[in-house]
Amino acid sequence: MSSALVHISIHDHVATVTLNRHSAGNAINEAMAFALRDALTDLSQSGEVRVLLVTGEGSGFCTGTDLPNLTNPELLSDTLKNHRISDAFAALTKPVIAAINGDALDQGLELALACDIRVASATARLGLTQVEAGFMPWDGGTQRLPRLVGRGRALEMILTSRRIDAQEAMSMGLVNMVAEPDQVMNSTLKIAQTIAAHGPIAAGYLKEAVLKGMDLTLEQGLRLEADLNFILQTTSDRAEGIQSFLQRRSPDYGGK
Amino acid sequence: MVGSDMTHPTVLYSKKGNVAHVVLNRPRVINAYNMQMRDELYESLAAAKDDTDVRALVLSGSGERGFCAGADLTEFGTAPSLAIARQVRWERDIWGLFLSIRKPMIAALHGFVIGSGVEMACLCDVRIASENAVFSMPEVALGMVPAAGGTQTLPRVVGAGTALELILTNRSVAASEAKELGLVHQIVANGDLMMTAISLAEKLASRDPAALSAAKSALVDGLDMHLDDGLRLEKRLAMKAKSSE
Repeated sequence: MSSALVHISIHDHVATVTLNRHSAGNAINEAMAFALRDALTDLSQSGEVRVLLVTGEGSGFCTGTDLPNLTNPELLSDTLKNHRISDAFAALTKPVIAAINGDALDQGLELALACDIRVASATARLGLTQVEAGFMPWDGGTQRLPRLVGRGRALEMILTSRRIDAQEAMSMGLVNMVAEPDQVMNSTLKIAQTIAAHGPIAAGYLKEAVLKGMDLTLEQGLRLEADLNFILQTTSDRAEGIQSFLQRRSPDYGGK
Repeated sequence: MVGSDMTHPTVLYSKKGNVAHVVLNRPRVINAYNMQMRDELYESLAAAKDDTDVRALVLSGSGERGFCAGADLTEFGTAPSLAIARQVRWERDIWGLFLSIRKPMIAALHGFVIGSGVEMACLCDVRIASENAVFSMPEVALGMVPAAGGTQTLPRVVGAGTALELILTNRSVAASEAKELGLVHQIVANGDLMMTAISLAEKLASRDPAALSAAKSALVDGLDMHLDDGLRLEKRLAMKAKSSE
């Protein structure tokens, strides 16, 4: 599963995905995008993995994209398609946590936006700066950022290409938690382990209910929530959850 | 109210002036939500909805320990079949009833506010918490997902990112953080909770009920629409509210 550009390690149901191009700020090139998509496919199918954690090697998270110099603009569409990775992250039914250990810029932030929970280093800067370079976000940023922080803040960030610090990101709901640089991985791992001990089917359904529900009317969303609940009632995990609570012990979920 | 124990009501309903006060009343189990409570809450809310004298509602929990500790898990799995459970869910659509009430609803939250307690609060319009309130969403930790609308209402209140984190991790949130997250609008000293909630309800009840109802509808229904349709709705409701003065 691991490759030179994307390192994977799995411990206690938590898969850590590390972008590994430190010398280039962990910027995503075409080979890394392919490796990431392959790794995510494998991890999504792994029965052992319940939670994913994504981070960057060294002191940075991901500073963007290495796009080839395109002499033929007709190739742009294919190039962007090959580089796109956010959809692959967003498609995961398992919870994904971004450990933003350093700067998350451009496609790096777009990747983090496609995760479910974001923990940022106190020294990290975050931004979508493509407009500054005469381009625009193209890996989900124009859609996911406003849905997370509101239209006004998203427009301001993207139009000005302003990089914000972790504290400001926290205050606008862009990250869930800020940790000291040497504590980011620990804090993120703790969250991942907590979630890995919870019902894995329930966690997947919860993601579906929340994320799909945001695109539905409230009434339709409530229908989705109710039906997912009825399906969950057929799982042994749900029976285990209730039994463990009534017996005052820790649950032991089999993902069934 | 089949199966209800009329001598021990799980919901207390009272009316003072134009304010209805609905109290979850199973203090010995921190007002855990069970089937009897569902039925009695349904009756109380339906009464408040239909009563034109009621212009604002306050929802609170009795006892010292908390507003609501969540669903009563001892009753889980007691439905005869999933098909019947699903039928009952929509025959007595308690959460839909909450949302259909176009009068201001104020949740007064103290102590433990867990699972369906948080969800009931999110079905209200204004959330006031006492300093000792603590919030958490334990469903996924228990192998299930929230079932009182929380997967839909909580993200609409605090955003999807925060909602996912809170529900996936089952983290406890103190009143001060709940205010920062936008989950509650005001924090008051423990002893001042009911007075604050009731006096806000009285203030709202003194205003034009048609205007309040129109404004609430514009917000609640408008958020489900594309902006163009929402603006048309706002215009229509504003005309109607003005002409009813």
